[in-house]
Amino acid sequence: MSTVDYLELLKLAAPETIVVAAAVAVLFVDLVIMRDEPMRHRLLIGGAVTGLGCLVALLWLAKVPVHAAVLGGVLVVDPLTQWVKGIVLVLTLCTAALSLHAKFTEHVGEYFTLVLLATCGMMFLVSSDDLLTIFVSLELTSLCLYILTAFSKRDRSSAEAGLKYFLFGGMAAAFTLYGLSLVYGLAGTTNLRAAAAALAGQGLTPLLAVALIMVVIGFGFKVAAVPFHLWAPDAYQGAPTPAAALIASGSKVASFFVLAKVLMLGFAGVEGSGAWRQFSAGWAPLLATLAVVSMLLGNLAALAQRRVKRLLAYSAIAHAGYLLLGLLALANSDGRPEALAALVYYLATYGLTTVGAFGVLGVLERVNGSDRLEDFIGLSRRAPGLALCLVVFLLSLAGIPPLAGFFGKFYVFTAVVGAEPARLGLLWLVALAIALSAVSLYYYLQVLKRAYVVAPVAGADRIVLTWEDRLAVGGLALAVVLLGVFPSLLLSPLGAAIQVAGY
Amino acid sequence: METLCFYLFAALAVVCGFLVVANPFSRNPVASAMFLVLTIAALAGLFVLLHAFFLAAVQILVYAGAVMVLFLFVIMLLDLKEEERRSWRKFGLVGGGVAVALIALLMYAALRQSPLGAAGEPRVEGSTAALGELLFRQYLLPFELVGVLLLVGMVGVIWLSKRAVP
Repeated sequence: MSTVDYLELLKLAAPETIVVAAAVAVLFVDLVIMRDEPMRHRLLIGGAVTGLGCLVALLWLAKVPVHAAVLGGVLVVDPLTQWVKGIVLVLTLCTAALSLHAKFTEHVGEYFTLVLLATCGMMFLVSSDDLLTIFVSLELTSLCLYILTAFSKRDRSSAEAGLKYFLFGGMAAAFTLYGLSLVYGLAGTTNLRAAAAALAGQGLTPLLAVALIMVVIGFGFKVAAVPFHLWAPDAYQGAPTPAAALIASGSKVASFFVLAKVLMLGFAGVEGSGAWRQFSAGWAPLLATLAVVSMLLGNLAALAQRRVKRLLAYSAIAHAGYLLLGLLALANSDGRPEALAALVYYLATYGLTTVGAFGVLGVLERVNGSDRLEDFIGLSRRAPGLALCLVVFLLSLAGIPPLAGFFGKFYVFTAVVGAEPARLGLLWLVALAIALSAVSLYYYLQVLKRAYVVAPVAGADRIVLTWEDRLAVGGLALAVVLLGVFPSLLLSPLGAAIQVAGY
Repeated sequence: METLCFYLFAALAVVCGFLVVANPFSRNPVASAMFLVLTIAALAGLFVLLHAFFLAAVQILVYAGAVMVLFLFVIMLLDLKEEERRSWRKFGLVGGGVAVALIALLMYAALRQSPLGAAGEPRVEGSTAALGELLFRQYLLPFELVGVLLLVGMVGVIWLSKRAVP
């Protein structure tokens, strides 16, 4: 058996190690040093240590470029995974900034520790080609998120949301593990590429089909695609707002990226086709079905929501549908680099936008105590800057140019149309997606109408924003606008990274 | 002999697993926990048939021994009389039945069409040394990750059991 260079391994896994070290440091500092300080100081120090950990890890990612796969693909570090890890870290950083006014808990150290460890799980999830590591890091992320969902001890709905998320997630984990173990049983290896190579030429054998279905069900739960979405509205509603932001952004980025990897690398050769009237068995028609029902149900159910968190949850389900379309574009190896770049760009901008929307929601919740649509009335007068940021986030989610959400959708849809160029077979899906995007504009505008048009009740005072709010929400809005006006800021380095990584 | 043992243990695992969640004779949680012990013992038997003796021993010692004893403690401390009185719900029965039937059908159809390969050579011969080699070389990273996972579990339990300061 070959020997392992542990120092080399530590160097490659340094960003993750830094994050874990920061998690332990937060716990230690809060428990030992800050124990008797006022809440405000504890939150600031906890947030500062968390932010410092993320920043150091980000710096390491930027300054120490490495390109290696060690232990037979258990850890894969290439420019693309570095980028995705960077995106996850930025999202965590924003979540930490939104948590600085948390009123839902006294357990500051535990809270930030769990946020950081969830991030560590997401980072390992992104940078592994190995079934075992993927499963363990998926569970690490999920377990942290279950606890964070239930973190508001005084709130019954938080506990209920946590339990629901946990039970659904447990089922999903069982399905995932069953599917992955079937793949291992058929191929005799836990490496994705090696498994695809071992199964090459056999086509979609019945057992492989079962494995594929199980894996898709398991990941379908994680990304909240219909019909596995039932946990999402309750979890978003019940979870403390920063925790919901992390579930909606970072975990989604990592889960979609790893799903893309598992399907693209592990199930290479059984893509099938989802083209109109030319279905052939494989993962493409499976994803096409999920995408259609997710887009339909997500967008239509969002129309009926009166609570903004639930509205964002259904909008997240709809966006999961668009992203599944983006995965479909990966089925054809011709335009794969462009399709992958479009997918990661969409994920990044969607993550940033969602965190921003939850940030605005968090401020309003702190002032009003709830997230009903009526609480948005008169926001433009009570806090003009905040209302402007809300416009940016919601219009970006709806996909209005020149915001980042538009270009995300544009590139993904272009890639999907180009994936089956012969007869534009996937055009029907894209047409449906564009039609439903128009529907989505209605419910986003419902929120904005209350913020800008509906006359406010007398006596509503101005909302005082703290510097953390300004920094986090304003920065995110600026990023969404910038990435929309100059999409190449992110797209061209992503394209270069994908080329170097060789997908 | 080996085949006979396999079918014996497999059937035991399936039947006991079923009785853990849906015991028609008793709604007592303690009975469910006891059937879970039996399921774990049957799984340990399957591990032995796969030459994974160390895993079989750990399965019995850790799961059937330590973990299940804690389970029983918790069940008995919680005093779940309410749960025993709760009757079957029709929707749950039908939904569960349909789901089980669908998955069983899928598995049956898939297995019927797949040729069963010849038995492979066991990859890790029962010794703990081989297992340790794997855990500290090839699978070092997931092994360390499980350590972090346990830390999360510990933090979560402490957070959950600490009384909130008013």
